[in-house]
Amino acid sequence: MPTQIAEQQTRAEAAESVKRVDKIDFKMITFSLAGKEYGIDIMSVKEIAKASRFTYVPNAAPFVRGVYNLRGEIISVVDLRIFFHLPAERKEEEALESLIILKIEEHVFGVIVDAIDKVVAISSSAIQPPHPIFGDINVKYIKGIVENASKLYIILDVEKIFAPDRGEEPAPAAMLEKREELEREPKSAEIAGSENEVAASFIRETLAALRGFHVTPLNSLWFDRRFGEWKASRKGDDLQLREPGDADQFLTGFWSPNTSDLWSDDYAHAVESVLPDIEAKNINVWNPGCGKGYETWSLACVMRRRYPDARIKIWANDSDLLAISMAPNMVFTENVPDYYNEFLVEGRNGRGFVQPIRDSIFFEFHDIMNANTLPPLDLILCRDVLSFIAPIDQKRLLGDFSEKLKPNGIVLTGSNERMGEGWTAIGSESLPAYRKDRRAENGPMSRRTA
Amino acid sequence: MRVEYINPFVEAAFNVLREVLQADVRRGELYLKSTSMPVMGVAAIVGLAGDVEGRVLFDMDKPTALKTASAMNGEELKELDELVKATITELANMITAQAVTKLHDLGFRFDLTPPAIFTGENMEVSNADVEALIVPMETPHGKIEINVAIRERG
Repeated sequence: MPTQIAEQQTRAEAAESVKRVDKIDFKMITFSLAGKEYGIDIMSVKEIAKASRFTYVPNAAPFVRGVYNLRGEIISVVDLRIFFHLPAERKEEEALESLIILKIEEHVFGVIVDAIDKVVAISSSAIQPPHPIFGDINVKYIKGIVENASKLYIILDVEKIFAPDRGEEPAPAAMLEKREELEREPKSAEIAGSENEVAASFIRETLAALRGFHVTPLNSLWFDRRFGEWKASRKGDDLQLREPGDADQFLTGFWSPNTSDLWSDDYAHAVESVLPDIEAKNINVWNPGCGKGYETWSLACVMRRRYPDARIKIWANDSDLLAISMAPNMVFTENVPDYYNEFLVEGRNGRGFVQPIRDSIFFEFHDIMNANTLPPLDLILCRDVLSFIAPIDQKRLLGDFSEKLKPNGIVLTGSNERMGEGWTAIGSESLPAYRKDRRAENGPMSRRTA
Repeated sequence: MRVEYINPFVEAAFNVLREVLQADVRRGELYLKSTSMPVMGVAAIVGLAGDVEGRVLFDMDKPTALKTASAMNGEELKELDELVKATITELANMITAQAVTKLHDLGFRFDLTPPAIFTGENMEVSNADVEALIVPMETPHGKIEINVAIRERG
């Protein structure tokens, strides 16, 4: 039979190629970003183009280059390199940029990439799940990795990148609750007896209701210890928190040192010693929940000492208008810890901070539950803030933290707050500091080899 | 939004409104908002550029716009015509300009774009990524909301 003959003739290659090429069902446009090869599913690509002179849009995110008139249709143009914090060569106004025009659901976008290569056809079964060591790009935006003609392509999940946020939220929330449950299990065994567990869970609820304090894995270590102490001091019969005063009493000892005054000499030196070496000329810091601003000013002085030559910028936010309104003009009439003397000058109303320190801080009336627009960060100082945020939002903010931090960036949390999965502890018992797990976020090989 | 920017806007809105309306003006509680917000019917917008980027939106319902424009022009205006629109636009311009002047004295450099006015029913402004400071002002002619979104250039 003819088919048999044909088969015999080509058997040598067929054995291999039939398996490999059996089903070409996935085509992608390949392109490069910062020297690496990437792919986008051709089904999301409308066309490719070269363009320049995008119309700048005020108030847009930094990665939005502007809008562009594509034959009468106005599309927004996103610079993928800036979106992923990759080095982007700033071309001249007139120079043409390589644009991939995407169509996602009903929206048309343009994305700027370094260079567009070609269309590559592969079998979707050859796509392997994203591996964390592959890139400078957050794993959640990667659909998979595929090899073709001895090149590795990272396939981006453009729908995840550009689709509106909806639908993504419930998943992490559900996960968090599950994790919480998991982590609570052993605790109930620790605090022997179900009666205790009931009492503890009542206290958890009342803390949330009276003071907005949420017991989550972030602070459960402290809570368990404190619950033990509380039980011992209350002798069993009157464990419950009945009014805000009780909740405050329960929370004594939770607070980090110096939340409503300048950091003491010891604490300032301790923070100084935990800060890593940073070679960058510009250092960006975020201080959500800065309250009256004492910790921001303290931190600004610590940073100035630790990195005397860098340009430091601190974004300090609080949603309490009254508290933060006073922050920018802080003056002292009494003695301050010696640490700060060199940064203070005599003013009309008392001693205030010198101009370089002032210039390094932006105090902003801002609710961190709203979108946080910040450049890539070297440090986040967030003491005793996350514990007062509902678990679901807490999770979201931690995601925000890890997204905004540079690969070597660190987070300083409150003394009794412990970050969990995805973070490596680098601080001490009294001064917890965390670095993003390199494996989870950015490949260790990424920037150094590039 | 930077704390330093808040007061100039609140003061400018208060001073200008009191001056042009020759009436008592009260300021409501300030708050932050980020989701899409309905526009009451007449909205004037002034863009800001310079060290910062952003916009200021003056939002009021149609009767308030008519009465405010009538008070400013010293004559009774019944239709939302060119004169009313021009008057509201001017009001937005005056307030924003005074705020920017105050900010300039504090060392912040802002430029203004020419104001634009939108009118219509069931309108909504939505830029979910932008957090706005809302300054509600109560005037005898009705409520005017000043919606300020400014951020530092990244």
